[in-house]
Amino acid sequence: MENGVSCESNKKTTVLKDEWQPKIVMFCCNWCSYAGADGAGVSRFQQAPNVRVIRVMCSSRVDAVHIYTAFLEGADGVLITGCHIGDCHYVNGNEKTLVKYKFIKSMMDEMGIEDDRLQLRWISASEGQQFAEFVNEMVDKIKQLGPSPFRRPKVI
Amino acid sequence: MTKVQVGDKLIGWSTNEDVRSKGGSGGLVTAVFASALDKGLVDNVIILKKANQFEAVPVITSDVEEVLKSAGSMHMVISNQTKYLRLFENAATIAVAVKPCDMRGIREQQKRNMIDPDKVFTIGLNCGGTMAPHKIRGVVENIYKIDPSQVKGEEIEKGNLIIETLDGEHHTHSIDELEENDQGRRDNCRYCSIKIATNADLACGNWGVVGELAGSGTFVEVMTEKGAKFLQNAIDSGYAQVEPASEKSEGIRSKVNSVMLKMADKTKEQVFAAIEGNKLEDLRKELENCIHCGACKEVCPSCACGPEAKCTLYSDPTDDYDISLYHLIRFLHLSDSCIGCGQCSDVCPADIPLTKLYRRFANPIQDELNYVPGMDDRTPPFFVSKLEELE
Repeated sequence: MENGVSCESNKKTTVLKDEWQPKIVMFCCNWCSYAGADGAGVSRFQQAPNVRVIRVMCSSRVDAVHIYTAFLEGADGVLITGCHIGDCHYVNGNEKTLVKYKFIKSMMDEMGIEDDRLQLRWISASEGQQFAEFVNEMVDKIKQLGPSPFRRPKVI
Repeated sequence: MTKVQVGDKLIGWSTNEDVRSKGGSGGLVTAVFASALDKGLVDNVIILKKANQFEAVPVITSDVEEVLKSAGSMHMVISNQTKYLRLFENAATIAVAVKPCDMRGIREQQKRNMIDPDKVFTIGLNCGGTMAPHKIRGVVENIYKIDPSQVKGEEIEKGNLIIETLDGEHHTHSIDELEENDQGRRDNCRYCSIKIATNADLACGNWGVVGELAGSGTFVEVMTEKGAKFLQNAIDSGYAQVEPASEKSEGIRSKVNSVMLKMADKTKEQVFAAIEGNKLEDLRKELENCIHCGACKEVCPSCACGPEAKCTLYSDPTDDYDISLYHLIRFLHLSDSCIGCGQCSDVCPADIPLTKLYRRFANPIQDELNYVPGMDDRTPPFFVSKLEELE
């Protein structure tokens, strides 16, 4: 990245040694968002390196267990991405994600976790640029929020 | 003789003089159970056997005589009976008297295909709240200065807890004052919003029974076809008598209910006032004594999982999380279906106020979706497949 492409976003995402770096877990559905991530790479859109992508077959596969485990293990943010409504490879998986997301969100709210730490976004296979933008946007937001309150002191 | 129909509001009593005088309010519930057993509508009845002045033990029986003898054991067990009913695995038909929260638990299990609605007949009893036996015993001894063995009954009326002794005297004390010192009803009962069990087959109670019938008649509202059938059976077989309830009775019943609900709303606002400071830290503090015994899940009437569930299988105490996955998953899973029965707090060996915590997560989402679990057959919101179905 140091000798990387000189583009605007480069400034924002350059890794400085002492700056605190958030850890973000991102769940991508196999059919749309993961291909979107691929597209972002192939098209060389710059994005922050703070995101760990986990591929799942469908966004509805992401359970509360995964989300809470990520937070408990020290993630500062969790992003869920899937196909646009109507495009789900499994007919209506993403609609079920929405229902689940509503409940988890309400619970996170009640626990006093900031709204930006858990986000859901639909990204199709062709939206590589949107993927990179989403990642950069969330990394910036979570950097402003600071470490997750779930994070224990011993977690590095 | 007119036929009993769904929606009828009647006042009934047992024709058996012994049952009528011994029974709580005319012995109607006993009469309906006895007649149902007698005519073969059910195989078993769960009755309450009086253990002492403040406690009763649930006993399953198929003996009509025993049912009749049980009249008057008005002291309800605090424990929610839903999970016991599940133990029968729908092998027999059972009739049982329930509090509103018992019935809500049964309905939630029915939605999850764990209890067959055809196998259970329920008579709901009005409930203004329950008291832990050891607490009420202490209150009677130390505050009312009465010998506990002399207590005949207790009632909440006009903001007072009235203790009736065997010699017919009424002793009163302000319930707010008692509850300030945690000596009144159980916490969850204070903010419970269902006082009349309209989700059961028959909704019975003494609220609204006035005039000469007071104390020897029961107000009954027929809620389902099954309820109508059972009540009709009791009348036809000569076990019970009914007369239509007057409008005055009805009015008094709903007035008592609304007074109770107002009290509950007030408490709810106090208990669930917005937490100042760090909410997560607050939760962590509440749960820090948890020993992961799993008792709260075991007794939970809304939980339909077996011993191997998501909350238990994925949670490992050696993970050493501040708030374990067990709790987080259970908070989420109950956010749509917690009925606030208070069982989890009762059984917790570490005295964690679990019901309050479950309600903290359940209140906002249940209010938003206008969903009252256990009151009707609506699909639990967590199970719908489309967000639009929630509205």
